[in-house]
Amino acid sequence: MTNPPDDRRDPSSDSDSRSGASAGGGAEGGARHGHPRDRTGSAADTASVTTGTRGRTRGGAPDAGLTGVDRAAAARWHASRELGGHDPLDPAFFPALSPADAATDAADADADGWRQPAADDGRAGVSGLQRVTRRLRTQAAFGLAPALAPALLFVPLGFLLGPPGLNLLPAHALEHLDPVISVGLAALGVFVGLALGRRPHWDARLFVAASLEAIVTVLVVLAALLALLQAWQMPITVPAIAVALALGVSASASSAVSGGRPGSPHNLASRIADLDDVVPIAIGAWAIALIAHGGFWNAWTQVAFTLLLGLSVGVIGWLLIERAHSVAERGVFVAGSLALAGGASAYLSLSPLLAGLAAGMFWNWSPGRADVIVRADLQKFQHPLVVLMLLAAGASLQFSLGALWLFAPFVAFRFAGKLAGGWIASRLAPSFAPADLGKYLLAPGLLGIGFALNMHQHLPPAEGITLLTAVVIGTLASEGVALFFTPVEERA
Amino acid sequence: MRRAIALVLLLATAALVTTSGGQEPRSIGFAFGFALIAAALAGDLFERMRLPRITGYLLFGMLCGPFAANIISRPMARELTLVNGLAIALIAFMAGLELNLRRLRPRLRGILEIGAIQLGLLYAGLFSLGWLAWPWLPILPDATGATRVTLALLLATLVVSFSPTVTIAVIADSRARGPLSELVLALVVITDLALIVLFTLTMQAARWSLGEGTTEDVSLLARLAWEIAGSFAFGGIVGSLFAFYLRHVGREVTLMLLALCVVLSQVGTLFHFEPLLAALAAGLVVENIAPPDGDALKDAVERGALPVLVVFFAAAGASLHLDALGSIGLIALAVSAVRLALIRVGGYLGSRVAGLDPAIAGLSWMGLVSQAGVTLGLTIIVSSEFPEWGARVQTLMVSLIALHEFVGPVLFRAALARAGEIGKMEE
Repeated sequence: MTNPPDDRRDPSSDSDSRSGASAGGGAEGGARHGHPRDRTGSAADTASVTTGTRGRTRGGAPDAGLTGVDRAAAARWHASRELGGHDPLDPAFFPALSPADAATDAADADADGWRQPAADDGRAGVSGLQRVTRRLRTQAAFGLAPALAPALLFVPLGFLLGPPGLNLLPAHALEHLDPVISVGLAALGVFVGLALGRRPHWDARLFVAASLEAIVTVLVVLAALLALLQAWQMPITVPAIAVALALGVSASASSAVSGGRPGSPHNLASRIADLDDVVPIAIGAWAIALIAHGGFWNAWTQVAFTLLLGLSVGVIGWLLIERAHSVAERGVFVAGSLALAGGASAYLSLSPLLAGLAAGMFWNWSPGRADVIVRADLQKFQHPLVVLMLLAAGASLQFSLGALWLFAPFVAFRFAGKLAGGWIASRLAPSFAPADLGKYLLAPGLLGIGFALNMHQHLPPAEGITLLTAVVIGTLASEGVALFFTPVEERA
Repeated sequence: MRRAIALVLLLATAALVTTSGGQEPRSIGFAFGFALIAAALAGDLFERMRLPRITGYLLFGMLCGPFAANIISRPMARELTLVNGLAIALIAFMAGLELNLRRLRPRLRGILEIGAIQLGLLYAGLFSLGWLAWPWLPILPDATGATRVTLALLLATLVVSFSPTVTIAVIADSRARGPLSELVLALVVITDLALIVLFTLTMQAARWSLGEGTTEDVSLLARLAWEIAGSFAFGGIVGSLFAFYLRHVGREVTLMLLALCVVLSQVGTLFHFEPLLAALAAGLVVENIAPPDGDALKDAVERGALPVLVVFFAAAGASLHLDALGSIGLIALAVSAVRLALIRVGGYLGSRVAGLDPAIAGLSWMGLVSQAGVTLGLTIIVSSEFPEWGARVQTLMVSLIALHEFVGPVLFRAALARAGEIGKMEE
């Protein structure tokens, strides 16, 4: 309890965890995660998958099963500019990350062995717009390179391309995207599972604090919206508690301010944001089972079945991924595992997020280096999956009175819930949770939209669209709200 | 051992999921994931037995498909075929990349001679067989005179046709490179082009002989010209744009490659272009006019091709109508044996006439046995235009495709192994 968590970390597992892609804000970070990697000029993280440097620390045989040709192909794969690599949109749209910044960031990354640039250090001479973009860019989770929240770009773009706009993404095309969304959700679940980290990096106390913060947020939003739904007598065909619970779960996602020196509040808040998605994913899975299958206890059975399914996919992937004969075959196994987790969950009306989470946790805690390999491979699928999900979310928006009614309390009670949850967590664990933890966790990231997309798949169409619209615009608004509440350390 | 355990666990999981009863419209992701992993494992098993991986994918699809274990149900099999357009475009694009015209030019005359001999012999032999055996074939036994001649010609066209898809897939899968790969690829592409033209003409003849031709059919040749020339032009333009992208941007090449294939297969069909030809032209342009620097494209093809091939052939296996094979199997076997014999003889004659390396040209016949997508596509056109007897043609052809899809890749891989070309792509 007395040692700062970072002192106890295994550097290799730490950097493993941090190099991962993300959900929540993490996925957005991951979408641009290639920045630092490209800046440093080598794909060190992913290359280590091939060279086995990390594998040695984990006890796995380096390059087991790979021939010389495979190694060369793997090296070419990792060295090539590919998905998950440098995103040309960032420098094009947001020049705040100038070459000088990049050099500083790279130095920061090298200094602490991590690839995350430090948070805004208040360098003089930056304009207001640059401050805003830099502030947004620092929001990431799961140890990813901070990036501008892609929801702000791709959701409006999706709305523009969708049926309400230019109709280039018509309703039937959105239906075809449904399976992709399920697979994308499973990928987010895997990211969450992988981001938990291994022992000794995985800290039960941090996990409890993070979960507590998330539960408080869920409860605040759930209680408030349940009361409001009953007071307003909104015409909904599913139990009000299911809608309120769905909104509560969607509100619980957060993407903390990332960076900072090890052991600093920044750093700890970032780690808490990594961990606070697990309980909401489980609650969300129960809510989906309740909506799709009905029955309080039956829903728990379905949650258990989802976990079993995810574990089964995890075991299958674990047996295959490390021993793949070539990089291409490994890609097939990773993609197949994701499709299996997401597809089977969607087929059985279960939560792909929970199935992915179970698989990710299994890969994390099983022997060998499946977690490192999966993380490296997933980064190649991550960008298109995230973009597709956000475009689909944007294109599905339908502004109705119900959605607008839900939007305002969603933002307000999410704000209250995050602050309250953060405060309670910091009271219960003052040695490692910063006193203003809630402020770090105000930015919602992507996972909330993922929850809403998942609920949208199972709710009746009218309720599903209303909920999705409320959550998506609420997420965008919460990103804006987060800009105005700077944690103490950042101000200093 | 790990793979065997994984396969057992995968099958158990799939069985549990399918028996739990899900929502069929949402089955695509599950079917895709299951097929991707299990078929890849089956392909690996076949490779260990020195058989083509794609035969493993096909067999897996067949065994797990609706006509056997039913783990991949009929709706799932239908959903899996959604990747067909993408797969065919990708495979044809890869074929274009493998056809280096500068390298082929010295042998082009020999290739054309072998192709002409093969086509002529197969046509003559199969037409004669069809005409003579017509009363015993379960198609339209009462047909006589010109009708019988044109229908026998049409049937011969279908039976002759080859499979560029399987040919390219076997080459890509076994990572083969060398004179035999190039010869067979060029032969299959050129003869299939000729067959598409011949098919259009024989279809027209069949319409006239059955009294179904109209004056509008005069435009058929114009339409054919539009389809072929337009496909090449469209593919050439798209290929040029892709080459420009590779040279000047070069980012996220796998994603762009898949997007290219979607454009070639989906946008092209809106203008009645043939995706296979368009994608072939795109590949030819990239390889012969604006080859990219570095390995970005090669890596992207390697990464993109494997999952697409796995799902494509697993879906093809799951869609094979085993019931058709059961009902018309003996006749199909007899026709297949005659076709195989004619291809063998044609290969022998061609190798003597063409003036190519006899060791290589003599093996070329082994790459011409496969039949798949093109044949099925032509068959479906016949079946939909002449539903009365076309359905019986389809039954016969589907049985033949089922046979040749399994035999063809095995023979071709054996030929590649004998020519020492397997694995040469990496050198």
